[in-house]
Amino acid sequence: MRISLQEELDQLEASLQEEGTLVLRALRGCLNALERHDAELADEVIAFDDEVDETYVAIEEGIQSLLARQTPVAIDLRNVLAVLHINLHLERMADYCVTVAKLTKLVHDTPPDETLAEALEDMGTRAEEMIQAALDSFANRDVESAESLVDMDELIDAANRRVVHQILSISADPDLREWGLRMLLVSRCLERIGDHAVDIGEQTAFLVSGQFREFTDASH
Amino acid sequence: MTIIESPVQVAQQQTRELPPPEKREIVFDVSALTVSYGENPALKNVSLDVYKNFVTAFIGPSGCGKSTFIRCFNRMNDLIPSAVVEGTILYRGNDLYGPDVDAVEVRRRIGMVFQKPNPFPKSIYDNVAFGPRVLGMTDDLDGRVERALHQAALWDEVKDRLKDGALGLSGGQQQRLCIARCLAVEPDVLLMDEPASALDPISTTRIEDLMHDLKREYTIVIVTHNMQQAARIADMTAFFSVQVEDGRRSGVLVEYDATPTIFTKPADKRTEDYVTGRFG
Repeated sequence: MRISLQEELDQLEASLQEEGTLVLRALRGCLNALERHDAELADEVIAFDDEVDETYVAIEEGIQSLLARQTPVAIDLRNVLAVLHINLHLERMADYCVTVAKLTKLVHDTPPDETLAEALEDMGTRAEEMIQAALDSFANRDVESAESLVDMDELIDAANRRVVHQILSISADPDLREWGLRMLLVSRCLERIGDHAVDIGEQTAFLVSGQFREFTDASH
Repeated sequence: MTIIESPVQVAQQQTRELPPPEKREIVFDVSALTVSYGENPALKNVSLDVYKNFVTAFIGPSGCGKSTFIRCFNRMNDLIPSAVVEGTILYRGNDLYGPDVDAVEVRRRIGMVFQKPNPFPKSIYDNVAFGPRVLGMTDDLDGRVERALHQAALWDEVKDRLKDGALGLSGGQQQRLCIARCLAVEPDVLLMDEPASALDPISTTRIEDLMHDLKREYTIVIVTHNMQQAARIADMTAFFSVQVEDGRRSGVLVEYDATPTIFTKPADKRTEDYVTGRFG
């Protein structure tokens, strides 16, 4: 039994779950800032990204060191490769949270369209659920749960499409036009977070089966 | 269209694809092979094919029968009185253990390099020339010795001292001399039983590089304890394990597949436990 290798793999996975928790906090922070038009909270979310980046770099360095010294193979190698990819997906998610926070700051003094604000909060909640499901399915090596992320993603995609229509319908109003355009990007960020969660699910399936496959083709 | 296709082509070039099974030339066809020492089977019911111009590695824990197995390929087990070989090994379609087969001719075509370099206490030249002289292959003996030393990547280091004693060479040089000694009789197959396990890392790398070059002309079968060595050099890898039945331990073939498969997604849990170091 290679005790030191197993300990390092366990440590990497624990750090990855920790990074996931940080991303969930960043997402909740930017959604609250958006809902409350809170520029101060948005600034906190932007600053908080440094913590995510630190964890990202620590995991990256841990993997580099492990590969150099331990030469993992088979399931251990797949585990390391999956962590490498998931690490990047989580870091990107946190970057989208920063973008949402920045967009919030740009329009925090504009009164929002309530229907649209609710739709975005709804998308954010779905994105949170997807991140949690992606992290849990990886921790539990649960391919079925990982595959269910595709269905969750379709809901968030549909919500994104509805938001686009709503924004088009308010675009004639000059007071709401800029706010609407910013919210278009917010919606896109939340939709992309959902895509990254699906990608994490694909890594779980790769870890378990040894075969990488896209859950859906590019037409989705 | 060209733009879309080009990344795929690059990716295919980067991964050395093995030819598909139907295009591989079988050198050894092993079927239901069991080797016993007295009453005890050391190796049970092994079937596999060894392919031309492939490096095939046998890995597994001590006592799994991998050395016993490789010794069957040139009838080295004939030299152990209690050894009994059952089943068949076809070498290019001919039964290696058939009644009319000349074991000396078998060993000319199927050479063997051992764990510890074992040069004769003679000159470098005479070591390489020994086989050809015994077999009457004495035409252009100097040229034959030089070619063998070139092929074993030793010529440049010894060309000015061919008459010096072989025992004065370093361990790594002695092992390459033993490889040259095998090559001098123009074999078809090289069997290597842990050829680098007694060597330092630099000499090990040279032997591995040599195997990579030699497989263009020869078929190579290697037993190694070093799994990373198998991962680096072998095209196909066979994993052997120990099976205990009625208190008796014998070796069994667990899995045989392309090396990348064995080291990325082995089919059998026992293989995975062994290659990931969780064995025992």
